[in-house]
Amino acid sequence: MLEVVVLIEDVDAVRLSDKANENENSNYSLNVSLAEKDRSTEHLVLNYSLELTSQPPMARFKVSGSATLSGSKDEVKQAITAPDDTRPPPILVMIYERIYSTIYVLAGALKVPQPLPNLLKKSS
Amino acid sequence: MVQETGTELYSGIMRFYNLNDVRKYMKELLERYQRDYDRSSNVIGSLLRAEGGKGMEVIMSKGWAKVGAMFVDSSDPDKGGMELTFQLVTEMKPRISKTEEVLKSFESVESLPIPAEASFLLYLHGGIPERLVIDATEPKPEAFAYKGDYSTIP
Repeated sequence: MLEVVVLIEDVDAVRLSDKANENENSNYSLNVSLAEKDRSTEHLVLNYSLELTSQPPMARFKVSGSATLSGSKDEVKQAITAPDDTRPPPILVMIYERIYSTIYVLAGALKVPQPLPNLLKKSS
Repeated sequence: MVQETGTELYSGIMRFYNLNDVRKYMKELLERYQRDYDRSSNVIGSLLRAEGGKGMEVIMSKGWAKVGAMFVDSSDPDKGGMELTFQLVTEMKPRISKTEEVLKSFESVESLPIPAEASFLLYLHGGIPERLVIDATEPKPEAFAYKGDYSTIP
């Protein structure tokens, strides 16, 4: 069974507007990058970087760190392969789920809209 | 469960994509075995020095009894535990020697004609590197990288 350990190594949270209000509706756009750091027979270590910016721009969060995937070769391959062009690879969803609570708390502290925990979709 | 002493001995097959990584892995393995050996043998050495002049009787328990398929010592835990540590140290020596020997002679493996894209299957038996398969059919996979733009679902 695939095991994933997500480590947050750096967090940056910025309130971009004085008028920001945590009760306002706001969608967040995400810029994501994943890069292989280390690989062996049974594990893959990825560096990840996620940048979330609210639309309209009221806040920006940057979170980076590493994700270690341990499992069989097939399980690891499945986790990093996007099912189609519009959906993210499962590992990205897992990383987002694991770091979501941190972003949620920070958004509350900055009094800016909290991003939604839902799965991600590719912006058009 | 708390590990008192000893060393993790892996049995299995590991794939490497670089022969240098095989050497590096075995070197780290050896260093770990030596560290664990030193730690355990220091325990024995300290006791023997503290008991000054006494022989092996200070680490040999007479409290062993066969219970089922195991030997159990319930009457002399100090000596029983020390005897186990001594057995461990004794068993670690040949493992260290064998791993050292493999490392020292690894140049002869490195001098083989090896295809540039080959990967390597290392077979470890009880922590000892015993066999190596040079596999030219499975090269290193391309490094994974992914970039994308997404949005949260409203």
